This record gives sequence, C-alpha cells and structure tokens, in this order.
Amino acid sequence: MIRTEKLISKMKEIVGEAHLIRDSDRLKTLRIDGKRPKVLVYPGDTEEVSRIVAYAFDHTLAIIPMGNGTKIEVGNPPEKVDILLSTQRLNRITDCDCDNLTLTAESGITLKEVQKRLAQEGRGYFIPLDPPFTEKATLGGIIATNSSGPRRYMYGTARDLVIGMKAVFPNGDIVVSGGKTVKNVSGYDLSKLLIGSYGTLGVICEMTFKLLPIPEKEVTVLIPFIRLEDGDAFVQEIIDSQLLPSSIDTLNRPAMERLKPPVSLTEETRYLVAIGLDGVMEGIEREISELRERGKKYQSLDPLILYSQEHQSFWSALRDFSETLKRQRILFLSFKSNFLISKGGEVMKRYEKIMSQTGIESALIWRSGNGILYSYLFPGRSLKSKMESMIELIRQLTSEAIKNEGNMMVESAPTILKKKISVWGEMRPEYQVMRRLKEEIDPRGIFSPGRFIGGI
Amino acid sequence: MNRDQMIEELSKIVGKENVLFSETDLLLYGYDASLFKAKPDCIVLPNSTEEVSQIVKFAHREKIPIVARGSGTNLSGGTIPARGGIVIHFSRMNRVLEIDIKNQRAVVEPGVFTLTLKNQLARYGYVYQPDPASERVSTFGGNFGENSGGPHCLKYGVTTNHVLGAEIVLPDGEIIWVGGKALDHPGYDLTGLLVGSEGTLGIATKLVLRIVPKPEAVKTMLAIYNSLEDAGRTVSAIIAEGIVPATLEMLDRLTIKAVEESIHAGFPLDAEAVLLIEIDGLKDGMERLAERIIEICKENRAREVKAARTEEERAQLWAGRKGAFGAVARLRPNYLVCDGTVPRTKLPEVLTRVMEVGKKYNLPIANVFHAGDGNLHPLILFDERNEEELKKVHLAGSEILKICAEAGGTISGEHGIGTEKKKEMFFVFTPKDISAMRKVKRAFDPEDLFNPGKVLPEVQT
Repeated sequence: MIRTEKLISKMKEIVGEAHLIRDSDRLKTLRIDGKRPKVLVYPGDTEEVSRIVAYAFDHTLAIIPMGNGTKIEVGNPPEKVDILLSTQRLNRITDCDCDNLTLTAESGITLKEVQKRLAQEGRGYFIPLDPPFTEKATLGGIIATNSSGPRRYMYGTARDLVIGMKAVFPNGDIVVSGGKTVKNVSGYDLSKLLIGSYGTLGVICEMTFKLLPIPEKEVTVLIPFIRLEDGDAFVQEIIDSQLLPSSIDTLNRPAMERLKPPVSLTEETRYLVAIGLDGVMEGIEREISELRERGKKYQSLDPLILYSQEHQSFWSALRDFSETLKRQRILFLSFKSNFLISKGGEVMKRYEKIMSQTGIESALIWRSGNGILYSYLFPGRSLKSKMESMIELIRQLTSEAIKNEGNMMVESAPTILKKKISVWGEMRPEYQVMRRLKEEIDPRGIFSPGRFIGGI
Repeated sequence: MNRDQMIEELSKIVGKENVLFSETDLLLYGYDASLFKAKPDCIVLPNSTEEVSQIVKFAHREKIPIVARGSGTNLSGGTIPARGGIVIHFSRMNRVLEIDIKNQRAVVEPGVFTLTLKNQLARYGYVYQPDPASERVSTFGGNFGENSGGPHCLKYGVTTNHVLGAEIVLPDGEIIWVGGKALDHPGYDLTGLLVGSEGTLGIATKLVLRIVPKPEAVKTMLAIYNSLEDAGRTVSAIIAEGIVPATLEMLDRLTIKAVEESIHAGFPLDAEAVLLIEIDGLKDGMERLAERIIEICKENRAREVKAARTEEERAQLWAGRKGAFGAVARLRPNYLVCDGTVPRTKLPEVLTRVMEVGKKYNLPIANVFHAGDGNLHPLILFDERNEEELKKVHLAGSEILKICAEAGGTISGEHGIGTEKKKEMFFVFTPKDISAMRKVKRAFDPEDLFNPGKVLPEVQT
C-alpha cells in the first residue's frame, strides 16, 4: 500500500494531479483480463513518458501502454499491471511535410484526425493504412499492434509505411531510429522491432509515415458467387493478372449479413468478393469491365459497383466488423490466421467445415490477396459449457493454418478461455531470439509482462 | 588456434578445395567497393546451410570472427574483415531454389545474383522490384545485409519491403527460420530487424522474396536541362502534382560527360543535368500522365524531353544510369561515393552545399542520384596514391554527410554504415540510440563474432 502511495505521488509529480486517475471505481472499468491497474497516467510529452518509465524501471513496476484501448484485450492475461500509461495527450502532428510525402505525429492522435488534416493539405494526401476501429484507433495503437486493413493489398502494412520512430525504452531512454527519409540504412531498424511488439519493448511516442497523394478515383466492385471454389478461382486469377486492385476481400454469407450498413444482395449469394480499385480514371473504367468479364468465367452473379459514399461506407463497415459486434453486445471470439496466398480458398472451406461440425455460426472475412483470414465465432451464451470444444476447435483451426505454412492467433476471447490456450498460436524456433531480445531490452520485464508470445 | 589448424578444421567441413588462403586470395577477399582494406585468415566456400552452420559452430567455439560476403559491391566497407578471421563467400550457394508463382514468392540462396533471378522471373511475366545499380552481380545475401535500394525504390520500397522471410544461421551456429512465405507471423518482426544489419546479427542462408506480376505498361522519359536547379524543381513539381513515378533519377554534367564517353547513352554533352523519369502501371491513362509529366518538365525549363519509343531505347537510357558509377571511375583513379539522404524537398539546397564542399577541398564531384527519394550520390574523385588527396576526400565525405544530417536527412540511404561511417553515426544518433542498438547486437551475438567492428560506434555507457 505504501508502495502504491509512493507511486501515485511520484506520478503526480511528473504529470500533474489533473492527468492521472487513481479512483478505484474508474480503474475497475479499465481492468485488463481482470487485472486492475494501480494508476492510469496521461503524460503530456515524451519527456514525461521517459520519467514515468524510468521510475517504473527503478522500482520494477509493470507498465502497459495504451492508446484508446481498442485492442487492449489482445494477448495473454498480463502477469501484473501497476501503471496504465495512456498516450491520449501525446496527440500532436509534429511535422506535416506533404511535399516530402511524410508526416510525423505523436502516438495518441487518431488516424482519422490525421487523415482529415492530410486531405486538406494541397491537393490532398493520406497515410495508406486502413485498420479497424476507424473512429478511435490511435497511430501508436495501430503500429504497436501492427494493425492493418483491406488496402494492405496495394499499400502494404506498417513495416512498409513507418520510416521513423521515437520510443521510450524500458530503462527510460528516449530512442530514435529512422527518420524522414524514405531510404535509410543507418544503424539497426529498431522501428521494425517495435511494430507489432504489443507494448512489450517500450512506449512508441512518435512516428514518421510515408504519405501518398489521394488517388484520382476510388470505386468498389462487389462480385457475388454461389460456390466458394468459383470465388477462389476468380480471386487467384485476379492476383495473377496485371490489374492493380487496392484490396481483395472475400466474405461468407454470415459475414455479409452482419455488415452495417448492409449491402443488398440476392438470396442465392453465398460468397462475396469485394474488390477496391483506386488510381487514374481511365484505368478504373477498364478494370471494372475486366473484372465483370473475368467474373463471368467463374459463374459470378451480377456484380454491384459502389461509388463515392457507398464505396466508403462499405469498407468502413468491413474494417469495423468487430467493433459493430461489440456495440451490439454480441458475444464473439475472433481469430486471425495467416497462410500461403494460394491456399486461402481451401483454408476457408476447411474452417467452415470445422466450425459447422462444432455447430457454431461463424463469419469469415478472407483478405484474399494477402493470405489472411479473420474468423468471428458466435458461441451463444453458454460458453462455459462449451469450453472443451472451443479449445479443440482452436487447436484444429490452428493446425489447418500451420499446415499451410502459417499460424493462428486469438484476437478476442474471454479471459477464462485465453488462460487455457496459446493466444499467439504455435511457437516457432525463432521464439528463442525474441526471448533474448526481450531480455536484453527489458531485463526487468516491466513492459506488458506475460502478454506476448510465449509469455514474453 | 593457429591458421594451419583452422584451415585443416574448415577443410573437414567443406573440403580442401573450398578453403582459400593463398596470398592472392587473402588480398582479393580483403577489399570491397569501398576504400578500405584488411586481411582475412582464410576464405571458405560452403555449399549448404548445414556447412555454414558447422563453420559458424567451429568459429564460435574458437572465437574466430566471421564475415559473410557476396560480390563485395557494397560501398561502405561492410565486407572488410576488419578483425581478420574467416570470410564465408557464397559463390557456391547460388541456386534459385523455388519460383512459386501461385504464392508470389521466390526462394533463393544468398549467392544468387539479383539479375539472375529477374531473368528467370521474366519467363513467367513476374518481377522482383528492387533494382540495385549493381544488380548484375549484387547477390541477394548482400542485398539482405545492406538493405539495398535502387532507382525503383521511389515507388516500390527497398529490399526490406520485399524480403518476407529467411533461414538464418545465428552466431552460435543454430539454424532458425524468421518470417516465411506467409505474411504476419505472430511475434517480433525479426526479418525486418535482420535486413540491413550488415551481417552483424545473423547470416541468411535462404531468402524468401516477394515477386509480383510485371506492370502492364511502362514509359521512360529523359528530360534535359541547362541548369541543375531546374531539374531539381521538376522533381518537386511532379510529386506535388500527385504523381509518384516508379523512378526519378538525376545525373549532373560531369557524370553525363563520363557516361557519354564510355556508354553512349544518348545524353547531350552540353547539358547541366538530365532527369530520367519512368512511370509504370496500367496502360490506360498512362499517355495522359506522361504528357502531364512532359508539360511539368517544360514548365520547369527543360530544353528537351525524349520519350523512349521502344524497349531498346528504354534500355539505352537505363544503361546510362546503371553504368554511371563505372563511367565516372574512368575520370580519376578513385572515387568516394557518399550515400547521404535528405527529405526530397531539401535536395536543391543540399546539392548547392555539396558542390561548395568540392570547391573547398578542390576535388571534382560528380552527382548521380535518386532524386525522387532524396538519396544523393556525390562521387568525389581523387587519386589514392596522393596522400594529401586521400586525407581530404575523407574530410569532404564526412562534411557532406554532416550537411545531409543537418538538413533533416541521414548518413546512409542504401549503402550501409560498415566501417566507413561509424563515427558519422553520431550526426544522426545519440549515445542512447546507439546503446539501444547495441542491446539488439548482444541479443543475437553476445561475443561479437559476426562482422565485428561494424555499424555501431563505441559509446560510453
């Protein structure tokens, strides 16, 4: 208790009384897998972050960094949480250099706000990232969890778009890597290490992104299929062609039905291939007609073309699929599987079969050009009684992904289930190196202890 | 352990004929495309991952340094055996193991030349995007180690964006896989960390590369200028128009002259600068974009813009760019190439300052650069037999990097730090940054056996 009092008074000294929360009822709502933090702090700049971390390091206190908390549930239950460190006040755009096609901003600003600003600059620019939680996801949260969206097919993910970073390491050091240049091989690429490290190596405080000019035109082509085999064959043909879609996602019927706003589709549609196109006007016209023709070869039903507002809302509905479920208070589990690009159709089919055998409804969104499948399961109310079959189901789905040179991680599941499974999928030999990196960088294990792969 | 014993042990692993140690060999493997030299104890030519692992295990046991090496085209002393020891040369591990079109991946051994793979991919209508200027001989192991760039990086990114996994031999000889053919493996992005680590963390023995269908159409143009500034302004103007070409390369007067004398690429001798512009993608709308680019060039006082009409004409324009370093090398006995990179908007002012450095030290500077991504390559010409010049050239090089760092840029865009730029690391990093990097090194190589003495300068901790 004395320790907690000391911690709080120290935190007050660093961030000021107005920028921390110690009220136990408030903190109760911020529990992570049941663990309640002792204090929530809102540092106002990188310097303050550094001082907080240095204090935690000296006293071996556990810190979990957090943006708006949209993905805070991902990972193993933490071993402990002393300080929850919010980046919300680190919300400045520090350098907007559109002529150089770069933007530097602090971690607590939302991507949405940044995009809004960029759209107003000159002829209009954007960061080509479209991760879930459109309204709330912060830059830091997106990068720390390596979150991505459908347009990764054309534009890549954080590892392709983040070129510089400032982070506070576990000893309190403010460490900079990369910079404002798109090419940079000066020293080790520490940004790559922090991308997707889920708050286990430090606090990301500032990042520099590559920008692109907003494309002349954007359109969506929705191509319905009755059979998955046809949709799959169609997708593989598109991937192998010289067409340049920005995204290719395939949805099964339950996924389509849960989209908000919904898309109007015929009763017989079982699978929907959604293709995003952006680029120059002439190219898009031609791509639309070519997709239509190529679809016919594989027995597609009549395609639907979405423009402007409809186009935008379709993709945000898709991106924010899990958020919509949460808002509706629907209990669900979600998994992310990766595998060989060409095996997507097979994996999806196997997944449908495995899940239907278990008698559980599942919505599937297959990022078809990237070999990624998001599964959402709706086990209904009596999850507790189904625990054993859930564990078995996860085992089967994981092994299916592994068979195809991938793996599966559990993105969202109740704590009680998370404790019984391997949230991050099967461990590979490279884990030994990850463990050593963690031990060198965070020797006292103060950052998000126990949450990451293999209990890192 | 004495050298004879070392050679005997290594011969047991790879066979006698694959251990080199004659004076000539030691000389040949003691230098690279930089200005540095050192002497290894011997050179080993393994034929498999298993052999590499055994060599490394042996070296680990005996605490012998190891430098992995491809064709030695790196420009920063990255492959110099600074502390002697064993050089592992990958000339025998040069197989393209798999071209997996369905999954858009290629798997290669580290000794494969970049162009060799590209030629094989062409048969399938596929490409590997990065294109280091030395691609005819630059190996994938080298590209991996140095995170090589090339003209097409403006649109497609550098090596790190195209290497998705690798089989790695760790400094204790253990073999692991990082990443793989599938994307987004859970865990830290070790592949991303290893690319560009200059052989100091691990040795790649197999690489998984992203390959993609060849763009449907490509258009290559050459804009000719009477002033370097106008060419620089054109670069900014094209980007400001919302066009991101595949490449935007610039050559200055001295380079043009050298290129014309040796390659005859069709560059006019009296021009102050030429800009090589390429766009690619769908054929639809490409003519309109090309016309707009030509207009922009003219608005910025290009005196002429030529567009390549055939594949031969395109190849000829590119030959001028790709052969530029070689051509410049004919002007004086030696050159030092700087690799400073700046935010692209700073190019014109930085260029002016670079030329001032040349004047100050009375050394001719030829400029060839990736203008679109702010990567300068001033080539400082000199004669290494002239000791005073040699001293001056290092000072001038360092000063140019300082200018780049001050302009918000960095000291290496694609060539690496190696031996050459270690002290300049402090132009862009604090001791804290360096000690964070040192932790990474310790996690992989606590005994400092892989390419020791490279990349990280000493810091007081």
